[in-house]
Amino acid sequence: MDRLRIFQFLIYGAIVLIAIRLFYWQFISDVSSHSDAYANEVTIPATRGEILTSDGFPLVANQQAFILYGKPNEITQNQNDLAKKLAPFLISEKYATGSAQLSEEEIKQKDKEIEEEQNQIAEKITNKKQFWVQLARKVTLPLKTKIEALNIKGIGFEDDAKRYYPEASLSAHLLGFVGSDNLGDDTGYFGLEGYYNNILKGKNGRIGQLQDPFGLPILVGKYRPIDPKKGSDLQLSIDRTAQFIVEQQLRLDVEKYGAKQGTVIVADPTSGNIIAMASYPTYSPSIFGEYSDDFYRNPAVADTYEPGSTFKLITMAAALDLSLITPNTRCDVCSGPREIGGYKISTWNNKYNPNATMTEVIQHSDNIGMTFVSDKLGLDKFYDYINKFGFGKKTGIDLQEESPGVIRDKNDWKTIDLATASFGQGLAVTPIQMVQAVQAIANNGKLISPKVVKKVVSQASEELIKPQKVEQVISAKTAAQLTEMMVNAVEQGEAKAFAPKGYRIAGKTGTAQIPVAGHYDPNKTVASFIGFAPADKPKFVMLVRFTEPTASIFGSETAAPTFFSIAKRLFDYWQISPNSN
Amino acid sequence: MKYTFTYHDYKESDKARFHTPGTIKIKLLFLIGVLIIGLFFTQLVFANNLATDGQKLSDVQQEIKRLESENMTLKADIATESSLNTLSKKAEVLGFKKPTKVIDL
Repeated sequence: MDRLRIFQFLIYGAIVLIAIRLFYWQFISDVSSHSDAYANEVTIPATRGEILTSDGFPLVANQQAFILYGKPNEITQNQNDLAKKLAPFLISEKYATGSAQLSEEEIKQKDKEIEEEQNQIAEKITNKKQFWVQLARKVTLPLKTKIEALNIKGIGFEDDAKRYYPEASLSAHLLGFVGSDNLGDDTGYFGLEGYYNNILKGKNGRIGQLQDPFGLPILVGKYRPIDPKKGSDLQLSIDRTAQFIVEQQLRLDVEKYGAKQGTVIVADPTSGNIIAMASYPTYSPSIFGEYSDDFYRNPAVADTYEPGSTFKLITMAAALDLSLITPNTRCDVCSGPREIGGYKISTWNNKYNPNATMTEVIQHSDNIGMTFVSDKLGLDKFYDYINKFGFGKKTGIDLQEESPGVIRDKNDWKTIDLATASFGQGLAVTPIQMVQAVQAIANNGKLISPKVVKKVVSQASEELIKPQKVEQVISAKTAAQLTEMMVNAVEQGEAKAFAPKGYRIAGKTGTAQIPVAGHYDPNKTVASFIGFAPADKPKFVMLVRFTEPTASIFGSETAAPTFFSIAKRLFDYWQISPNSN
Repeated sequence: MKYTFTYHDYKESDKARFHTPGTIKIKLLFLIGVLIIGLFFTQLVFANNLATDGQKLSDVQQEIKRLESENMTLKADIATESSLNTLSKKAEVLGFKKPTKVIDL
């Protein structure tokens, strides 16, 4: 063979070898995963759903915010100098008012916080082994602009949207807040944010692309983006104006009566929808970390308390429904205190009403009269109605942290327990359970479980939220009889001086002593008032509750006036004139 | 003996007969070849354009992001300005007072 032929043969051989090798790399080898060196997979965070009032106003929206990060290797400045520059921007928002409006104590706290922040930042950026360090989360746009103006090399920003509350701390307990879980992802805690977290958070998207050395996407790459799915919005039954009225009045009156805590719930009796729900003291969900954990629980659904005389409505409803009594039945044991099971039962003011009718028993809030009723009922029937009205179990309201209250097992009840339970002591209920029960009285005997969310709105659809339970617990006739007794209690009872003129309001006061270390403290009470109006065609049912008011321990002198003040403002807002009764 | 090449004539006539389908075959092959090469180069051109269109996509994505962020900020501003908290404070500053008497006509 001549040299030319050999050379030709070598060239062909080389071509064949290269072709074989290329075939191997393309189709057989696992090298395709190594091409990901130029691929970049980025998570596209989903926008969290908003929470809107009944008129579509956002109680909770989203606001542009950023993660501030540092790249220690690219930072040229001295670490301590850099930390000193950044720290003042990254401390708590509560100091954002500016030093001029802070007290001396607060200024000291602020300086201390700046120092701590400085040390943390310096420590993070000193470690040159770290490629990327997070310096702060949820940095707002105005802050970002200020930090960018410092022209610091080696720091940058990434999107990290945060929750925004246009009405500040309005409905804080109802809403809950958004914090981070242990993976650093946004998660809702308490209230609606907690209960509906999975619906609100949406689904993150993903984009995987090949990128050129400038970071620009190469479109012939094999990856396709997965679009993020925005979280669904929640439209509530909360009336923004009613909520504002309730919170304003509650704040004023908690301070006026020197109460430790106050709660108000307003609900629509015909649908179970919550119109307003507020507790005070409250917290600001935008800076929830500044408050102790005690603030987060919503007292309206999580607190248990002995309801006192407001529970007399339940006892009376049971006996009326079973036709064991009528509103005019007379109490033949009401002439003085009674001894039951070795205990002495007396009235709250040591005044007795011999032969009082059942209507008068409610009007005078007569404990002896209530023992007369419970005697007629007996334990089994009374317990049945306690269950029917929803006590001892959760109402199913769509808020996290609801408590079922405490109703002891029927077998553990003694004779005295039947007597004391008839006037609301010896058992524990939550405020929302009381509202649910009285809502049934206002709604012709039909109990509807309460809810806060009216509908869930996603990009594709709207889903109406229905109440979990609808049940006729007492007859319409019983409801009507009890309503008249409650109207009489307002017009003739202890709180009559505070009731607005011209309106028929059905209501009942409650003053329950608080059990402390095995006995009742006579100076510490839970003072409450529950009712609905206008009595003939109720627009709302409302509970006002104060814990340990100091100006007066009685519900008739604290909770009742607050109820009537709020009711008057609601009548004006909803244009319910006295004549429309 | 004289030997005549009638076979050659036969081949010539055959050639004349088979020439037409052969031409068609070649022409067809040629066309297919041109088509394949043409498509190949077209694909190259498109791929090249796509590869450099990354810049355009990046620009559009940035613009979308900027507008979405702006919308979010504006929405938050509108909500703040129309909140009951803000309105009640402004009303107070302007000297508005709560009505003390409501008359039902």
